[in-house]
Amino acid sequence: MHSTRDLPLPVALVGLLVATGLSLFAAPHLPAEFRGLAIAGLSLTKAVLVVLGFMRLQRESRALAGALIAYATLVCLLAGGRIALAGLS
Amino acid sequence: MTVTVASRSLDGAKPTSEGGTELLLWVLVWSELVVFGALLGAFLLLGMLDPPALTTLHRALDLNLAGIATAVLMTSGFFAACAAYGRNPRRNLIAAALGGFVFCGLKIAAFAHELPALGAMEGRLAELYPLIVGFHFAHVLFVAGLLLLVAWRPAPSHVATVATVWHVIDLVWLLILPVIYLG
Repeated sequence: MHSTRDLPLPVALVGLLVATGLSLFAAPHLPAEFRGLAIAGLSLTKAVLVVLGFMRLQRESRALAGALIAYATLVCLLAGGRIALAGLS
Repeated sequence: MTVTVASRSLDGAKPTSEGGTELLLWVLVWSELVVFGALLGAFLLLGMLDPPALTTLHRALDLNLAGIATAVLMTSGFFAACAAYGRNPRRNLIAAALGGFVFCGLKIAAFAHELPALGAMEGRLAELYPLIVGFHFAHVLFVAGLLLLVAWRPAPSHVATVATVWHVIDLVWLLILPVIYLG
């Protein structure tokens, strides 16, 4: 059942760990506007890695995978937007 | 998960109890996501309305411990995924469950010094934080127990179902992190 197009599980795990480390680094070090963008992007990357890398939900239902990623995108954008706006005020 | 998917797509015209279970699983998953979405939305809104309270809350939180807990939970998700793709399901489910219990231990350690500081704070943010993180903690603890239960007799469909729920719990934590900790 393994497809050559699937992301290998160890690669997904390494991607998740690297993105987590970068988020933790970005939180105290970047200025708020860039921090919001970086944290939103990295968090979304992690969510995509879980849905497409670990769950491989796109094989079963592209719509379901898309819905989960859209949900994560909405939350990540709201979180990133709040962080960026906090820096502007 | 893919094993059950393949068999289901072949006889998709016939409604089976397995298909019904799968539907129920996704109803449960989306119910959880809606509840967590509402809680995280409330947290974001309150954080925007009261920035000083959010700053005080962030000072009380242990970001390093949250980062370690995230790495542990992601590694646990890796083992659950290995189990779902048929690679020694019993051993990988036990490893995933142990990761979940370690995550819970780290959260208890964090709560031990965060909650007294939050107790001194006023406002809804200090109440929402333990509610959201505690609710997620309860999910991790419960599903880690289910992982062990499924590991006892790892039928492919049960492994796929419990791994899916575990990944959704991972996903929720990945969304809690930017909303609560990284702001």
